[in-house]
Order: sequence, then structure tokens, then C-alpha cells
Amino acid sequence: MPLLYPLVLSAALFGIGLYGVLARRNAVLMLLGVELMLNAVNLNLVAFDAWFADQIHTGQVLTLFTITLAAAEIGLGLAIVLALFRAVRTVDVDEVGAE
Amino acid sequence: MITAALTIPFVVGLALLFLRKLVAGRTAAWLGTVAMTAALVLFALVWEGKDKISGEVDVAWIDPLGARLHLGATALSWPFLLMTAFIGVLCCVWLIADDTAPALVGLVLIISASSLGVFASLDLLLFFVFFELALIPMWFVIAWWGSSTVRSSGHLDDGSGFKNVPAEVTARSAATRFLLFTVTGSALLLVGIVLVARDSRSLQLTEIGGGPLAAAILIVLGFAVKTPLVPLHTWLPDAHSKAPTVGSVLLAAVFLKLGTYGLIITSTLLSESFADVAPYVAGAGVVGIIWSALACYAQDDLKRLIAFSSIGHMGFVALAISTMTDIGIAAAVFGSVAHGLVTGLLFFLSGSLKDRFGTASMRVIGRGLYARTPWLAVAFVFAAVASLGLPGLAGFWGELLSLRAAYEVGDVLSKPYAWTVLGFAVLGVALTTAYFVRAIRLLAQGEPVAQDVDRDLDLRESVVGFALVASIVVLGLAPGLIVGLYDFQPVAVGAVTP
Amino acid sequence: MRSRWLYVVLTAALAVAVAVWAIPHLDGDPSTKVWVEGNDLLGISLATHVDRLAAQVLLLAAGVGLLVQIYSTAYLGHHPRYRSYALVIILFLLGMFAVVAADDLFVLLIGWEVMGLCSYLLIGHEWETAIARSGAAKAFLMTRVADLGLLVGILVIGQTYGTYRISEVLAQEPKNATAIGLLLLVAVVGKSAQFPLHTWLPDAMPGPTPITALIHAATMVAAGVYLVARLLPILVASELVMTLLALIAAVTMLLGALFALVQSDLKRALAWSTVSQLAFMFAALSAGDADAGSDHLLSHGAFKALLFLGCGCVMHAVGSSALSAMGGLRLRMPVTFWSMTIGFAALAGVVPTVGFFTKDSVLAALEHGREDGPLPGGVALLVFGIALLTSFITAAYATRLWLLAFLVPAPEGRAEAHEAPRAMTGPIIVLAVATFALSIGQPFHLGIGVLSTVVAAAGIAVVLVAWKRRRDVDLAAPWLISELWLDRPYALWIPATMRSSARAIVDVDRDGIDAYSQGSAGAAQLVSRILALVQSGNVQRYATVIAAGVIVFTAAAVVLA
Repeated sequence: MPLLYPLVLSAALFGIGLYGVLARRNAVLMLLGVELMLNAVNLNLVAFDAWFADQIHTGQVLTLFTITLAAAEIGLGLAIVLALFRAVRTVDVDEVGAE
Repeated sequence: MITAALTIPFVVGLALLFLRKLVAGRTAAWLGTVAMTAALVLFALVWEGKDKISGEVDVAWIDPLGARLHLGATALSWPFLLMTAFIGVLCCVWLIADDTAPALVGLVLIISASSLGVFASLDLLLFFVFFELALIPMWFVIAWWGSSTVRSSGHLDDGSGFKNVPAEVTARSAATRFLLFTVTGSALLLVGIVLVARDSRSLQLTEIGGGPLAAAILIVLGFAVKTPLVPLHTWLPDAHSKAPTVGSVLLAAVFLKLGTYGLIITSTLLSESFADVAPYVAGAGVVGIIWSALACYAQDDLKRLIAFSSIGHMGFVALAISTMTDIGIAAAVFGSVAHGLVTGLLFFLSGSLKDRFGTASMRVIGRGLYARTPWLAVAFVFAAVASLGLPGLAGFWGELLSLRAAYEVGDVLSKPYAWTVLGFAVLGVALTTAYFVRAIRLLAQGEPVAQDVDRDLDLRESVVGFALVASIVVLGLAPGLIVGLYDFQPVAVGAVTP
Repeated sequence: MRSRWLYVVLTAALAVAVAVWAIPHLDGDPSTKVWVEGNDLLGISLATHVDRLAAQVLLLAAGVGLLVQIYSTAYLGHHPRYRSYALVIILFLLGMFAVVAADDLFVLLIGWEVMGLCSYLLIGHEWETAIARSGAAKAFLMTRVADLGLLVGILVIGQTYGTYRISEVLAQEPKNATAIGLLLLVAVVGKSAQFPLHTWLPDAMPGPTPITALIHAATMVAAGVYLVARLLPILVASELVMTLLALIAAVTMLLGALFALVQSDLKRALAWSTVSQLAFMFAALSAGDADAGSDHLLSHGAFKALLFLGCGCVMHAVGSSALSAMGGLRLRMPVTFWSMTIGFAALAGVVPTVGFFTKDSVLAALEHGREDGPLPGGVALLVFGIALLTSFITAAYATRLWLLAFLVPAPEGRAEAHEAPRAMTGPIIVLAVATFALSIGQPFHLGIGVLSTVVAAAGIAVVLVAWKRRRDVDLAAPWLISELWLDRPYALWIPATMRSSARAIVDVDRDGIDAYSQGSAGAAQLVSRILALVQSGNVQRYATVIAAGVIVFTAAAVVLA
């Protein structure tokens, strides 16, 4: 399989994630956008790891590291969102900022 | 000696600023008087002769830039130094009163000392540093002690149909305006200085022998803001009229001279490239003479009137400088010093009026001061007459020498141009008479209507007034005191044929 | 009282000092003396030059000045501002002495302007009244504007001759005479109130009458004549200047006399008469005869001072200078009457007063100037004719004024008039004597003398006959009473122009010139408002910008690499 396919997929994922972070007003969806971007990076790492299989092996390790990081991040992020929702009864970032 | 003369007022000024809570205003003013008198005496004693640099001090400062702590009094700067120190002394004497803020005395001292530093600098960078150093304290003087007017009755109409010009300008905004104008000018000046320094690989006034045209333009622009030349003058009326009395006096008598002194040294240092700029300087000067005279004719606020008249006098100085002749230099120095004394006196007197009446509006002060406050009125008429250039008083010789310099043309201006300019300058003299006669008529003469606050000159005012009157008469009767510093032949025989 | 005499003593000391200095030079022995050598840089030195002419004028000024100071002790002695008045007179005299005796042109200029200033201050002595204020301002402005001609003229002289010393200038061949002459002409036309700058003198009459006698009759206004006489050797070289001077003199003498004829105010009539007589002097000078001009200057100084001081006595008695308030004073004020009669006779040119002799000298000079002299023959003849006509009118108005002031019946209901105190009559008696005494040694021209006597007699006779027939000597000529509207430009047009242009300038200064500073403030605000849009505080927007930036830079790196 050529390297191009996973790279395009990863770029698309990253783009969607970036869009989500920049354009969405809902804090949960913004977190999801961040997750998408992280996973795009993961995909990249895995793809290059496979491509350079006989030279370097750090890609998989880094991916595992990123997954744990993402899990921790989403946990922390969702907790913040929940706290936010309890405090102001909304998860719309513009409305929160406007207060 | 020069170092001491500069340090004493600086130190005393700073001390007064920091210890302002601990001293009474009167004591502070006395201290200031003593410090400035010391500076005056030192500067007077430092003189060694017109061909030398007197009291030269030359110490390394910023080696990589070639900047040195290079001080000294030359024939060009010495009259300015004495005049500045003299005015500084008088300002401090003026402040000997109970309601004086000690910090104001301190600022006055710092301003005077910085100005003295400008005149005493023989290094361009040092010159610039002092030039800037004088600005900031002046901002505080105007903004903090300026008149917190109460619009000077602008809505009245005095029958002759003149509206009072100033819209609502507060002292703070006038001060900021002043600062912005001059700082912008200084920026141009700094760029010009850098160009000159790069060109002649030196910052010492004694070594610079020319510079590119761009440098001349930038430097002249920088000084033109300060002088001020039309159309860069619009900061001046507001700043002068809003400043407290000593602020106005220092602005008129000392600050404007920073500009003219700068132009004078530019014309001597960058003579070749200045020659290309000179016709414009002459033109701006003459336009300023006429312009300001007409503007004066429509003023109601006395301080504004005097401020505008300064522009006219500086026009004569600019005209003299632009001829780039020896007579022109002498005229410029004489005109500057005489203007410092005469306009200083005018501002002191209008300050007296403002102290009494709370405003300098001639309509509010009312007519017939001859009867209400005789000595104040007489002193005012004297100052006005000196300012309109009556022969035998200081104001005359500067104008006369300017006109003579323009008449004899010199090498820079063309004859038709110089003579046209001369014609307008002469017209300006006539207009100057007209507005001062109007002012005398509105203030000194007329059916007196006494007011509660009518009060003649008190002791400190009399001392200041008398000192200035005496110096104006002395310079008027013995113009050689200053003119003698410059060598030029009495008249160029046969230079002109009809 | 004692303090008043203090100023008289001061003036007397000054006058005596000047007399001691001047009298030895009356024999025509000129002397030049440098008191303070100039420092060679300005070329100004305190030098004096006294010759016969200067000595005469010095004595005239000192004498009239002293008499006026004595006169003023009674006339204005009780005025609250007598002190400043008396001191300004002394300053004025110093200025006059400087003008007359100066050898250095700058010293002359200083004196010249100091006189102008003193004139301004003294005309405005009664500054509570609007008329005195405006008269003073007008006099000062008009003369000072004209003085600028002298200032520039001095510069031209200095440049042309290489010196500012009159004696050294006159020692050289005349050069550049037209330019110098025209500039000096501007100055003397203003100072001596000649056409077209003549209107300030009549308006200067609100000043105290002794001042009018001193400054606006005997000395300051005559300084213009003196200056031209002094510099005549270089001015005669230019036919243009002399012709112009002659024509100005001709116009002015005729106008002045005509205006004097119709005045209803004694003082103003005398002022117009002064204008006219000064023109006589200029006419003589334009014919190249400095002696005739200066002789008339002296005689006019004496008899016109006499007339003004007499006028002051009359005003003192009746409280007004209007002719309608006078009349019937012949018996009430005998000393004033007889002195002024002598004065009017001298003005009209009746033998043997000095006015007769000196006027004849002027006429003779003009008549002589037809053949040789700086003037073209035709011009000289024209001016001669006008001068004769003016003599006629002068005799007529002198008679008219004399009749109306003293001989016509007193107006009803006037308080009884009394002779003036001795401090006032004394000076006019002295001047009346001088009016005869100065005749001694004056040249006499038989033909001209007969002619002018006939003319003067005709003028006197016309008025007397009119009086006998109609009991009325007023001339109904509205265009003369309004003085030909010649004052319009100075009274209305120039001030109005100045006011409106001043207002326009102030507006432009605020709204036009200041536009760049206001504009730059506005521009700075606009830019800052645009930049402020970026600083929204919205994190997502910042992130968008960052992302866009990353993309742009990456793309650039890829493309360019």
C-alpha cells in the first residue's frame, strides 16, 4: 500500500479536527475536534513507522504514548466541560466568554 | 566651570523634586534663585574671548558611537547661555510666593539646566539628549500647573466681532499636543543627526564639516517645529496660553531659542546643504511674520496674542538665518535674545494680570489699566513698544539687522527673492505695530471700570519687571554688546547698484 | 505746585544746555563730533553734527519746549497725570534733539521713532475718551508705517555710500538718489502729514493743546522738512524725487488751506493750516532751496506755536475749541487777542511779521526754480502758481478764524470768559515778540514781496467784505467740510480689511493649517481601531489565524524550497 493513502486520510482527519476546534461553539465538539487531530497524528505515526519499518521503531511507541495522553486529555477536558456546564448551564464557548 | 554651572541647577532641581514634601514653596524658590544665579555668574565668568571655545570640557562618553561629553561656550552660544540663565533666575524670583509648589521650582530648574546644556553642548548627541531632557518636565509644568480653564469667556462677543478662538483646550491636551509636536520634530532631528554623523564620522560640532541634503532637510524640519516656523506652529498658541506664567516664559524665552540656536548651528555646520533649504526657511519665516501679525489682530486672550507675536519674531530670526551671512547670524542671535527678554517681560506681565483676574482675556480684564494699576500698565506698554520694535530698545536691532541681511542678500538667496521677502517683512513690522496698538487701546487706555482685584505690581513682580526693562534698555542702547561678538564689515561698499 | 516747577527746571536746564551748545554754531560753523565711537560692527556711533540749520532747529525746539512746559504748569498742572505728561515732554525733546543733532542715521532714527512714540502717548493723554484713543492710534500707525521707509532708506544709504554718517554721505557724490529719495519721501510724507498721509494730523487734535503746539506744529512734524533739508544735496540729484516732492507739496498746501477755510473748530483749522504750511516748506525744498525751507520752518514753528498756545488760552476760557463757542473775546482776553492777532498776521503773511519774509523766500525760491534748480520749469511754475493761490486762501482763513474767535458777538448764555493765568500768557507774549524779532536779518525780495502782499491783502479783504455784507463767513461746501473723503481708506477700508483678513487667518489657522495635526490624530485613531478588531479576545479566532499562518508558511516553504 503506498504511503499516500494513510497520509491523505490523516490530513483529512486533521483538517476536520481543526475545523471542529476553530469553528464549533460547543465545547464538547471542540474536544472531539482535538481528539480527531490527535488521532490524525497517530495515523501518521503508524503509517511512517510502517514505511520505515526496518530503520526506526519509535512510531508505535509514540502512538501508544499519544493514546494515553489523549485518554487523559479527554477525561480532564470533559470534566472541565461538565464543571462549566454546572456553573453556567451552557457549553457554548461564545456565551461563556461573553459573560 | 561649565560642568558646575550645569550641575548646580540640576542637582538642586532634582533635590526639590524628591524633597517636595519637606520644603516650603518660598524656601524652594529662594533655593532655585540662588542656584540659577550661581549658574548665571559661572557662565558669565567662563568667557574667554570670541575666538575661542570658553571653558571647554571634553571627556569620553560613549566611545563606540564617538559621542563625548563635550561642553563649551562659543560666541554663538554664549549670549543664549546668559539669557537662559538670566530668565531662569527671574522665573525663580517670580515663584517666591507662598502658594508656590516646590516641585514646580524643581521642574523650572531642570528645564533651565537642560536648556543651558543644549546651548553648552559641543557634541551633537549630547545636544540631542539635553534637547529631549527639557521636554518632559515642561509637559508636567503645563499639564499640572496650567490654567484649568474655565473657557476664557469664549461665548461673549466683544463688539468688534471677534470670536474667542480657542475651542475648549485643556491644559492637559495643550501639553500633550506640545509634546507630540516636539517629539515628532525631535525624531526627524535624530535621524538627521545620524546622517550627519555617518557622513562626517564625528559628532563634535567642532569637527563636522557638512552633511547630505537629506540631513539638512530633516534637521531643519526638526528645529522648525521648535522655532516654530509656519505651518508647524499650531502647538504654540495653546501651549503658551495654557501654561502657568513661568511655563510660558520658559517656553517663549528659552524653548523657542533651542530651535533658533539649532537652526543657526545647522546653517554654519551644514552650510552647503543648508543653502538649498534656506529659501524655504526664509519664505516660511516671512509668511509667519505676516500670518501671526494678522492672527494677533484678532486675539482676545492676551497670552495667545503674545504667543502668536512670538511666531512673528521668530520669523525675523529665520529670515536672518536663511541669508547665511555674518550679519544674518548676528541678527539671529540678537533677535533671539531680545525676543527672550521682551516676550519674557510680556508673559510675566500677562501672568500678573492672570493672577489677578483669573484669565488673560482682555475683555474680562477690562479697560483703563493706566488708572487701575498704573505701574503694571506702564510696564505693559513699555514691553509692547519694545516688542513692536521701537528703535532704542532691544527688539529693534534684531529686526533691523534681519532686514539689513535680507537687503544685502548674501550668496544664498537670489536678489528678487530676498527683496520680496524684505518687503513682506517690512509690511509685517507695520502690522505688528497695529496689533500692539490695539492691545494697548483695549487694556491700558479707555474708561476705567475698577474691579475688586485691581492691584498694582507687588515686590517680586516689580523686581522681575525692572530687571527685564533694564536689560531691554541696555541692549537697545548698546547693541554692540552682542553684535560685537561677530565680525563683519560695517557695510559692503558699492555692493548694490540701482 | 513745587513739583510742577521741578519739571520746568529740568526742561530749562536741558534747554540751556542745548542753547549753550548750539549758539556758537549759528554763524554757520559746522562741527562734527563723535561722542562714542561705534564698534565698527554695526557701524553705529554716537556722533553729532551741528551746523547753522541744526543749531536753529535745536534752539527752536528747546525754546518752544521750555515755553510749553511753563505753559503746561497752568494748563494741565492740576491734571492727575501731570507727572507722566511732563516727563514724556522731556523725553520727546531728547528725541527731537537726537534727530536734529545726529550725524549717525541710526541715532537719527532712534530719535525719530522716540518722537513718534511720545506723540502717541501725548495725543492719547486723555485716554478716557474714545476720540483721543483713536487719534493717537491713527497718528502712531500712520507715521510708523511711513517710518519704515526711513528704515529701509537708511539701509540703502548705508549700502550705497558705505557709511551711516550723514557728514560722510554728503561728502560723496550723489549716488542712487532716486531709490533713496523715494524711500525717504515716504517717511517725511508720513511724519510731516503730507498728502496722501495727511489725515492723521487733524485727528491728533484731541491731544492737550500745548502738545499740539510743541509736537504737531513746531517740532516733530517739521522734522520731515528738516530731514529733507539735511539730505538735500543727495536728493536733488534725482529729478523724479524732486518733482514728486513738489507735486505732493502743491496738492497738500492747497488742500490744507481749503480744509482750513471751512472748519468749525479752531484747533482743527489750525491743524490743517499746519499741514498746508509744511507743504510750503517742502515746496521750497523741492526747488532746491534749503535755506528758504528751513527759514519758513523756524518762523512757522514760532507763529504756529503762538497760535496753538493762544488757542489753548481761548479753550481754557470758554471750555471748548469749537468756533461757535468763541467770539467776543477781544476785550475779555486782551493779551491773548493781541498775541493771536500777531500770529494770524504772520500766518497770512503781513509785513513785518516773520511769516511775510519767510513765505516770500519760499515763493522766491519757486520763482527762481523755474530757470535753474532740480525741478522742470513747468512744474516749478505750477507750484509757484498754487503757492500764490494758497497764500490767498491762507490770508482768507486766517482772517476768518480771527473774526470768529474774537470779534463776532459772544454766543448767548456763555459764562464770562477770563484772561488766562500768567504762566500761559507769558509764553505767548514771548512767542509774539519772537514773531517780530525773527524778521531781523531775513532776506527781502521786492517784486515777490509786493505781489504776495497784494495777494494776502486780497484774501483778507474778501473775508472782511463778506463779513460786512453778510455777517457770515462760512463757506457752504460739503465736499470741503467732509475733507474730500480722503480719510476713508484709513478710517474705514484698511481697518475693515485688516479685521476681516485677521478673522479669516484665525479660522484658517485653526481649521486649515491645523488640519494635518488633527488629521494625523484622526488617522492614528482609525488605524488603531482597525488593529483593535484583531484583538477580539476570542481564542478560536486567534487559533484560526495561527492555523492559517502555519498553512501559509508551510505552503511557502514547500513552494519555495
